[in-house]
Amino acid sequence: MNIVVCIKQVPCEPTIHIDLERMTLIREGTESTINPLDRVALEAGLDLRGRAGGRVTVLGMGPPQSEESLSEALAAGADRAILLTDPAFAGSDTLATSHVLARAISRLRPFPDLLLCGMKTIDSDTGHVGPQIAEELGLPQVCGVNEISLEGDSLVVERLSDGFLDTVKVTLPALIAVNRGLCPVRSLALGSLETAFSQGNIARWGREELGLSEEEVGLKGSATRVQRLLTPAPTRKGEFVSGSARLLVDRLIGTLEVLGLLDEEDG
Amino acid sequence: MRKMDKSGLLHGVWVFGDYRNYFQNRVTLQLIAKSRELAETLGTRVTVLLLGEALHRYAMEYIAHGADIVMVAEHADLRQYQVESYTSVIARWAEAFKPDILLGGATSFGREFFPRLAKRLKTGLSADCVNLAVDPDTGLLVQTAPAFGGNLLAEVVTLHRRPQMATVHPGIFNELPHNFDAVGRVVYPGIEVEADMKVRVLRSRRQQARGGNLEDAEIVIVGGRGMGSKEEFRLLFELAELLEGEVGATRPVVLAGWADEERLLGQTGKTVKPRLLISIGTSGALQYTTAIRGAKTIIAVNRDPQAPIFKMTDLGLVGNGSAVLPLLLETLRKRM
Repeated sequence: MNIVVCIKQVPCEPTIHIDLERMTLIREGTESTINPLDRVALEAGLDLRGRAGGRVTVLGMGPPQSEESLSEALAAGADRAILLTDPAFAGSDTLATSHVLARAISRLRPFPDLLLCGMKTIDSDTGHVGPQIAEELGLPQVCGVNEISLEGDSLVVERLSDGFLDTVKVTLPALIAVNRGLCPVRSLALGSLETAFSQGNIARWGREELGLSEEEVGLKGSATRVQRLLTPAPTRKGEFVSGSARLLVDRLIGTLEVLGLLDEEDG
Repeated sequence: MRKMDKSGLLHGVWVFGDYRNYFQNRVTLQLIAKSRELAETLGTRVTVLLLGEALHRYAMEYIAHGADIVMVAEHADLRQYQVESYTSVIARWAEAFKPDILLGGATSFGREFFPRLAKRLKTGLSADCVNLAVDPDTGLLVQTAPAFGGNLLAEVVTLHRRPQMATVHPGIFNELPHNFDAVGRVVYPGIEVEADMKVRVLRSRRQQARGGNLEDAEIVIVGGRGMGSKEEFRLLFELAELLEGEVGATRPVVLAGWADEERLLGQTGKTVKPRLLISIGTSGALQYTTAIRGAKTIIAVNRDPQAPIFKMTDLGLVGNGSAVLPLLLETLRKRM
């Protein structure tokens, strides 16, 4: 089974830097990691390879330093890594991003049997790119998947959707967007990471290699613009108390009373 | 497609009508109310899209709650909510009637289905919006959506392509009261439905709650590594029992084996929105705090006055959790 796992490199630090001109995230100088649900997707891909044989290709899109996350994926056991990188891709919204990824997947030979990704990312949290890749490639999709089993040329998957646990049969090739709980994520041995970093066998494909025009990618290929970024207004009361345990407990109980969670004491 | 009075159907504000159960139906009513506001600013009409079987009573309900038009597709193969068949029906309607705006609830189904629909229509989509408004200067729909892990809000616009599409966070807008005198039209544009043979739902059953009812709990007590030990962490369960709440845990606590993974709160765990959250011995790492942002009131106990958790609390108590907790339990027991 030929499996492609789409992974996104996301910042893991609480401090974020924003390019106010482009209204995009500045990724330089922030510590990054594989988006947690994409990491689950990778484990699921490796597990399926173990059951059915085949190859796992990881596909990432982003600036050159996104290579780190692809190295991490190789260290975890992926067979091949491709980074889609080009200055022209900067500022792509989900419509343009899914276009670049779908184009790259359509160039793979043989065409993959299964596409896996996380159902959403921790930085932008849209969950759009998976279904949009599936749409562009004309493939069926199932999102929010917690369990995968193989059945001939189909998968039988379980997904949680609006309070129901559905068992769904999907014909391959297909895209599966995974939820947490599908697979435990193994931590990597430092040695394997170092080996993967030093090997540097990550293919890089840019706009021209993918046969895309400038109008199809980046800001030009995007339908949406972020016109403003706002900081959510602080709505917390922000009271601050220090002192003895007795004092703290009394303040806490006072708050429970105000919220109507305790009957007020008589007298 | 049948010939009809197209003047009333073009360039409207469209709402995907999700009627599957009480919760999703409420989201549809909330979207209709907001769409009325948008449509009045733009001088156009509100149309609700209704797909399935035996839909008349929903059409009546949506008109009573503010829809001008309900556009209906009735077919046995539309009875089950499926991404592919729903996308093909609505994409064809959108190509024929060119709506200006198309909104849906950010339910599981909405968040799986709208991206596919937006892609087929080659238009933009924003996710899980918390506000919508028409910009008075440009006439564009300003879609306010959480960005960068909820740390910021982004105002997104769809510049040239149409419709302007958004999924909307449930519970943000208020529905309009039921108006028995409301008048509206129900239209049945022609449809072609192809049953989706590639994705078939074999079974569907109501989800069994796991890890207690953490996500529905009114009161959540969370312990972090600052609790010190597994034995001290156990005291949280006693507090949760007294307050009829549930216990949540941070990643380090789960890794230390003090609590099951089912209790994990955070980006890789559960998200909660209780009335009250008490967070004890948690420093406030972003990966945890994004999961508790929705709590109405947050109280935190931590030894370190500089801990980031105190930036998001209603009441911050600087002190040692392992001293505060036993005294709190003792005091509450005396009162109950």
